[in-house]
Amino acid sequence: MGAPLLTTEKLSNHFGMVCTARDLDLRFERGVLTSIIGPNGAGKSTLINLLTGHLPVQAGKILFQGREITRLPIHRRVRMGICRSFQVVNVFPELTVAQNVMIPVLARTGRSWRPIRSLSRETAVMRETEAFLEKVALLTERDTPATALSHGDLRLLEVGVALAAAPTLLFLDEPTAGMNPVERVRLLENIRELAREGRTTFVVVEHDMDVVFSLSERIIVLHRGEVLCDGTPEAVRADAKVREVYLGDDVSDLFRYREEE
Amino acid sequence: MKAETRNAAAAAAVLLALCAVPFLAGKFTVYLTMRIMLLGIFAVGYNLLLGQTGLLSFGHGAFYAAGAYGLGFFGLHVSGHPLFGVAAGVAAAVLLAVLVGYLCVRHTEIYFAMLTLACGMMVFSLIWNAREITGGDDGLIGIMRSPVSFFGLFKIPIGTDRQFYFFVLVFFAFSVWAAHRIRQSPFGLALAGIRENARRSEFAGVPVRRYRLAVFVLSGAFAGLSGSLEALLESNARPFMAHWTHSAEPVLVSLLGGLSSLAGPLVGGAIFVAMREIIQRFTENWMLGFGIVLLVIIMGFRGGVMGTLSALFRKATAPGEG
Repeated sequence: MGAPLLTTEKLSNHFGMVCTARDLDLRFERGVLTSIIGPNGAGKSTLINLLTGHLPVQAGKILFQGREITRLPIHRRVRMGICRSFQVVNVFPELTVAQNVMIPVLARTGRSWRPIRSLSRETAVMRETEAFLEKVALLTERDTPATALSHGDLRLLEVGVALAAAPTLLFLDEPTAGMNPVERVRLLENIRELAREGRTTFVVVEHDMDVVFSLSERIIVLHRGEVLCDGTPEAVRADAKVREVYLGDDVSDLFRYREEE
Repeated sequence: MKAETRNAAAAAAVLLALCAVPFLAGKFTVYLTMRIMLLGIFAVGYNLLLGQTGLLSFGHGAFYAAGAYGLGFFGLHVSGHPLFGVAAGVAAAVLLAVLVGYLCVRHTEIYFAMLTLACGMMVFSLIWNAREITGGDDGLIGIMRSPVSFFGLFKIPIGTDRQFYFFVLVFFAFSVWAAHRIRQSPFGLALAGIRENARRSEFAGVPVRRYRLAVFVLSGAFAGLSGSLEALLESNARPFMAHWTHSAEPVLVSLLGGLSSLAGPLVGGAIFVAMREIIQRFTENWMLGFGIVLLVIIMGFRGGVMGTLSALFRKATAPGEG
């Protein structure tokens, strides 16, 4: 597999007395579609927030492609190739769908400093933006303001904005939350396809266990800020500790539970 | 007609009308039109910060004053050439804006607004108290309007108000054009992204703080340009240019005209200057009258004059209902 894409060393985080990350030593390999699961409060979102720079690291180290990024600001990490999407839709509401996707494209290609040249002349950016819109099936909505989109389309846009930063490593925080089954299948197909293309390595936080087990090549189970289990879907399904955390129920049964929103 | 062609036609018509003013109107109207253009330069630059990026500053009077005093000092000590004087004024404003901006852009919303207010008040009190250098409450007086000479080859006089009018008009047209281009540019879109969602902008790879500083300095440059032109117009630079009541002017004007368009602050500026003249003929308390107008606009017409007009226009031309 070669060198790992991202590693953490003794990564820790506390909110007061509550420990949300305890000495985490994780490795993310290039091209391995990974899911992070765990009960509420297990530290899934905290982990993403730490790795992407949303939360300052209290203790431990993060290395990306061999370089330490522990204290780098968010936009520097994005330029290096780490990006994320958000659990609650977090786009540019008053801008059009195309403009939403254009901002990361412009920033990545170093064009967003140009103050005089008209945006409509940036044809290369336009073409790239359209390609990303195509990937998330939003090309027909390109001139719609984000506020006017349906919930499902907003979720697609959320992922589209993250993809447009062309990350090497992309964290998706509950990408299918609140989607109807049709939209969900469509988005998962997209993710699977993009993962196969190989440019981006996906790490997904999900509550929906059908999604998790059908999508992932590797599953990390977090519990109270610690790694409870880490392995292939089969290994996780068979793991006794995982069963215990999920109240000792039959795993397949329990894994059917869905986050209420 | 396409929106772009329509806007270009409107801009050409306004420019033509502005060119005609000194030939058709009286002295006082010429003077008032210059005041409108000065406030227009100030506000159109300021709105890049407020309307485009979503940052509310109460300290831009300081940069306006930096422009005026910069031109004044340059004229007194170096050269009376008006173009170099304006350049010196803008440079002084940019320098001050870099200093103030560096402190302020680390914060947002109310903290940003209060920090800019505090910096503006410091600049005002510096100007007020450094009497030996700035002339204190008398201001810097006796600023001359020397002819604009091009390498001594030929000279354009700007001594009379009618002559100076075209000097102002050139800078006004340039400012509006520049602001228009910035709003349409990739940089402008990045600014709009910061206004809409600063956190997401960072996750889009945009170094938000640097962009905020850049637009802060840019709007400071517009303020400095406007201030240096006023120093030439009034032959003086006054400490009250840096006062926070003056810093509030571009805020009020932008709200009055509408934050979301280029024309908003320009129209707001025109209404502001015209209303001040008209109301002041009847009463000293012109702020009372203006306050009432602003109240109505903010409570009833959130988009300002331009926002309301364009909404009406859209309704009138909407297909179907007509």
